[in-house]
Amino acid sequence: MAQDKFRHIGSHVPRKEDERLLTGRGRYIDDIAVPGALHACFVRSPHAHARIVSIDAQPALDMPGVVAVVTGKDLAAWTTRHRMAPPIDGLQAVEMDTMPTDKARFQGDPVACVIAQDRYLAEDAAEQVAVTYEVLPAVTSMWQALEPASPRVDETLPSNLLSHQHAEHGEVASQMQNAHRVVESVFSQHRQTHLPIETRGCIAVWDEGRQHLTFHVGTQVPHPYRTTLAGRLRLSESQVTVISPDVGGGFGQKIALYREELAVAAVARHLKRPVRWREDRMENLLASSQAREDHCRTRAAVDAQGRVLALELEIVEDFGAYSFYPGNYLARVVAMILTGPYKIQNYSYDVKVVLSNKVGNGPMRAPMSVTSWVMEGTMDAIARSLQLDPVAVRRTNMIEPGDLPYTMATGEVLADITPRETMEAALAAIDYEDFRARQRSARERGVYLGLGICTVVESTTYGSKFYKAAGIPGSGHEAAWVRIEPSGVVNASCGLGATGQGYETALSNAVAEGLGVDPSCVQIQLGHTDVAPYGMGSRGARGGTAGGGTLYLCALDARAKVLAIAAQRLGLASCESLRMRDGRVEQQFDSQWRDSGMGLVDVARTAYLDPLALPQGMGPGLEFHKTYEPPPMTYSNSTHVCEVRVDANTGAIAFDRYLVAEDCGTVLSPVVVEGQQHGAIAMGLSGSLFEHVEYDANGQNLSGSLAEYLVATAHELPHFEIISMHTPNKATPAGIKGMAEGGVMGAIGAVTNAVNDAIAPFGVTATRQPLTPMYLRDLMRGKQPD
Amino acid sequence: MDKQSITLTVNGRNIEFKAEPRKLLSDALREDCHLTGTHVGCEHGVCGACTVLVDGRPARACLTYAIQMEGHEISTIESVGEHGALSVLQQAMHELHGLQCGFCTPGIVMTFEAFLRDHPEPTEEQIRDALSGNLCRCTGYQNIVAAIQLAAQRMRGEPVGGPR
Repeated sequence: MAQDKFRHIGSHVPRKEDERLLTGRGRYIDDIAVPGALHACFVRSPHAHARIVSIDAQPALDMPGVVAVVTGKDLAAWTTRHRMAPPIDGLQAVEMDTMPTDKARFQGDPVACVIAQDRYLAEDAAEQVAVTYEVLPAVTSMWQALEPASPRVDETLPSNLLSHQHAEHGEVASQMQNAHRVVESVFSQHRQTHLPIETRGCIAVWDEGRQHLTFHVGTQVPHPYRTTLAGRLRLSESQVTVISPDVGGGFGQKIALYREELAVAAVARHLKRPVRWREDRMENLLASSQAREDHCRTRAAVDAQGRVLALELEIVEDFGAYSFYPGNYLARVVAMILTGPYKIQNYSYDVKVVLSNKVGNGPMRAPMSVTSWVMEGTMDAIARSLQLDPVAVRRTNMIEPGDLPYTMATGEVLADITPRETMEAALAAIDYEDFRARQRSARERGVYLGLGICTVVESTTYGSKFYKAAGIPGSGHEAAWVRIEPSGVVNASCGLGATGQGYETALSNAVAEGLGVDPSCVQIQLGHTDVAPYGMGSRGARGGTAGGGTLYLCALDARAKVLAIAAQRLGLASCESLRMRDGRVEQQFDSQWRDSGMGLVDVARTAYLDPLALPQGMGPGLEFHKTYEPPPMTYSNSTHVCEVRVDANTGAIAFDRYLVAEDCGTVLSPVVVEGQQHGAIAMGLSGSLFEHVEYDANGQNLSGSLAEYLVATAHELPHFEIISMHTPNKATPAGIKGMAEGGVMGAIGAVTNAVNDAIAPFGVTATRQPLTPMYLRDLMRGKQPD
Repeated sequence: MDKQSITLTVNGRNIEFKAEPRKLLSDALREDCHLTGTHVGCEHGVCGACTVLVDGRPARACLTYAIQMEGHEISTIESVGEHGALSVLQQAMHELHGLQCGFCTPGIVMTFEAFLRDHPEPTEEQIRDALSGNLCRCTGYQNIVAAIQLAAQRMRGEPVGGPR
């Protein structure tokens, strides 16, 4: 294992964060006391699509304890509009107000904000704000959105088609014509939401004297968030400090600057008083952000052995009512990496993204979640169509070690991945041949077992070049600093925003490795924009490579200076015979390393308190800063294998086994990585089986509480078996690849493929999620198994 | 609504404050008793993050008015363990990585401090059944289940291996 060369990277040490969180001494937004803070509560549209005719706030303002009621018109004067107009072919430029002034675009759209002395009063008063609406017909499905006569969600646009991209690589049409067969498949993913257990919330503290805003908010991207917040308030970045404390989960929901948060900041500045807001769960389900609703169709041209000669993909995504992200942000990545572990050079895609009267979409853990289900479901469909073994079809098409680096049809380059190895390891562990024998004998007894395979190539670290190639604005770089204090302890920071992953533990290992100290001596300082360097934050699975990698490189710089000072103090001409280990400077004599008598604390004392003793030309202090641009993309890979049994009488699914072989390169903290693997698989299974944001034909959200929006509990989830593999990425610091989303991708595909394998004797295939018992029963009803 | 005087017995201490009769126990604990370890995740009794013990039994603090709790003994996460002195269950959760963001964690700890007193030898099925009243979005539950099993073993005084 390549990890063996490291002393701290990859060490199995429990997390630093745990003690405060286990004892209830964490500090989340709502735990921060701000004397005199007022409370905000939003008045939300009960209609999916409606003109705002008038707003009468007087009954609310007459209530004791109510300080103000603001509307979209007030906020329009205090803030700028949000313009989303990156120069991308096929993408419509759109703008949105801080709060709507003319019409509400989904049920839950905020139309007024009540400010009162406590949250109970604010909620009472919100009910007294009288809004008159003129109800408009709503767009509640992607197909309706595409109809020419459909109502327009955004009336400044010619249609609801927000984004449309098409690309063709190689010879697709001619291969389709000449193929042995063309296999067509459909994959329909349903609308879901992130559901962090801590909902959104914020506290705005305006300092009138300094003309400065301190904004407490749980965010994954403190610096980009601050830049946006300052701009929308017409303040400079020097006038805004964003502080993100402990955060109770993000999963992509805590990236964008939401309209509620901007409103709270603007009102606090206007009133010159602190204002806080805590979203309740119904608001979180009705009005935060949602994801996933996309419909995919593939057509695969194959030869008689199941070799894919060409592949077509069509995606339509329902993006909701507003563009908090560019319309192509989510679906186009699916198109760019679809072929993943397979050698497919003739490939075309068509991606349409439409607006509807639903909550605006945001990236949810694995925004490209559907990718692996679509590709691996297509492989299964080919196998079924040609009556081949699904494993044989995969082996026929899969990238072999000798094919690497492999340039995908879309131009993306795969390197240092091991899909064949993870698939074979997973199949061996589950004993595939034995399963098929058990499946046959079970079917004779009327018991329907199924096995699903899903090999994932997970895009993890998005570099600037990938963003540019995908037509997404933004940088993929990250920034870090390391400071060895005069006492020899180490502080370090980067631009990531923690939401529970365990960064303080994993990043400490990266700094400790680079510098040569024990991780317990390293304190990671995150989430405060006056402290952290300007990095791009946490999204995708970039934390390991971008955050950990930059800190590791920065710590190597620190070590070089420490050893140079030590060499001078020890009277050596160079530091070639020196190394840092556990905070001590060691010197090599013959082949033996011995303590030099100097430690980091001695070097630090010299650097800060005796600078005249430093080597000539060297500056005092031990402070280091680094920026790092990762490769265009890094990839991890895994194979998920899931065994289920489907009750043919009820459609209920039970798990017999769930196993993953995953290769995510060098791992900073195996504890943290294992947690991410479990959590991602759980989110994928929960989404595939239960979770569903459901709108009715009028655009009413039917899933406004946790009694309707069902999430898997401990009872429904299986035990996860994990086989860990560690092929380092040769292009990144320490060989880190990153991970955290592949589990979602693999779970969605593995469970659905397993269910389809189980119900195959009935001659039916599930093409949409969630895989509810009702849906499976509907498929099997009236069908006799072969 | 008028505020009135309410006295709660929390973690063995009497705390008197003024609040409206409609004030939830969860809000009163956090705002009036200054015990912010009890987290509020859904305010409709599903997620379990706000679980506290009332007279030794787990209860949802978001489904109870503070004023109803006069005369009852309330225990919150702040009574369980502290810096450098984790409970057996908390220590097992730490060693087996039974938490990530930590927002649901106090509710889980409170549920299982009580559960383990009543079930010294729980099966995995019993643990998963009891845990189904607490939602966790980060962990997939597996390590929480393992930590509860480890804690039960240690509470029974059985020899157990160290952390993996």
